[in-house]
Amino acid sequence: MPIKEIAKELLVLLSISLFAAFTVNFFSPRGIALLGDWDTSKGVISAKSKENVVVHELEIENVVAAKQIYDSGSAVFVDARAEEFFDKGHIKGAVSMPVDLYDAYIDKFKAAYPLSVYIVTYCSGRECDDSHQLAQNFFAEGYTNISVFIDGYPGWQEAGYPLE
Amino acid sequence: MLPYINKMLNNSWLELSVRWFLGIIFLYASYYKIVSPAHFAKIIYGYYLFPDIFINIIAIVLPFLELFSGLALIFGIYPRSAAIIINGMLLGFIIALSINLIREQQFDCGCFSFGEGGHTYTVGQLLVRDIIFFVLGLQVLLFDNYRRWCLRQSGNILRNIPS
Repeated sequence: MPIKEIAKELLVLLSISLFAAFTVNFFSPRGIALLGDWDTSKGVISAKSKENVVVHELEIENVVAAKQIYDSGSAVFVDARAEEFFDKGHIKGAVSMPVDLYDAYIDKFKAAYPLSVYIVTYCSGRECDDSHQLAQNFFAEGYTNISVFIDGYPGWQEAGYPLE
Repeated sequence: MLPYINKMLNNSWLELSVRWFLGIIFLYASYYKIVSPAHFAKIIYGYYLFPDIFINIIAIVLPFLELFSGLALIFGIYPRSAAIIINGMLLGFIIALSINLIREQQFDCGCFSFGEGGHTYTVGQLLVRDIIFFVLGLQVLLFDNYRRWCLRQSGNILRNIPS
C-alpha cells in the first residue's frame, strides 16, 4: 500500500478544503463564528452567524418570570410558530404571527396595537430562534418594547399555565 | 464467476460513471450547506452527538470537504484519495445515523437540503442510501486499471499507477 503517496494526496486535498472553508466563511455575509452558543441553559441556541438574530438581553429567563408579565396584563404575547401549531394550542390570549408570513400579518397587527405596546414573542423553546427573528422584525417596524419568552409554548404547557 | 466480477469491477467505463455519480452527488450535497452554514450548524446540533466546541467547525469544514472531494472525483485529481475522504465522511454519516436510529432520536439529516430528514426519508432509507454510496466509493478506491479522463491518475489504494 503506497501510504506515503496517499498521505501526500490527502494532505493536498485536505489543505485546499480547509483553506477554502475558513476563507469563504470569513468573507461570506452568512459566515458563522468558530464557536457557537449551543448551551440551552444560557438561552436560545445559535451558530452566531453574521446574520444572527439572537439577542440574549431580550430574553425572559424562565417560565415564572414570563407568567408574572402575563398576569400583569401589560404585554401582548405573540406566537411566532406556523399557523397549524398555533391552531393546535397556544398561550391563552396570544396573537398568531408566523415568522415566515410576517409581511402578510403585520398590517393587521399594527392596526390593532400601537408602537408603544409591550410585546412578548415566543416559539417552541430554546432550540427555536423564530421568536428572536420576530422580535427583530418588530424592532424594524418601530416597536421598541419587546421581550422574548425563550421557553416558549412547551415550557408554558409543561408549567400548566393557561392555554387555548 | 469471480474473474467475471473482477473484470466488471475493473471496467474503466464503470469506474468513470461511479466517479462522476459520486462527484455530482457530493457537489450537490455541499451546496445548501455552504449557502446556509448557520442552518447546517443547527442541524449538526440536532444530532445531539457532537461537543459544542466542534459544531461550528464541522459546519464550516464539512461542506468544503464534500465540494473538493466531489470536484476531485469528477476531474480525476487524486481520485483514490478523494474516495478515501468521501468514504470517511460516509462512514461518519452511517455511524451518526445508526446511533440516532438506535436512540430513536428525531432529527433532520440535512444531507442535501434542509428539512429533508424525517419528512421524505426514514432514517433506515438514509442509512441504505449511504451504505450504497459507500460501496460505490469502494469501487473507485479499489479499481485496479487505468482510469479514464483523469488529470492526476495516481493509482488505487493498493498500488501506484503513474499518470
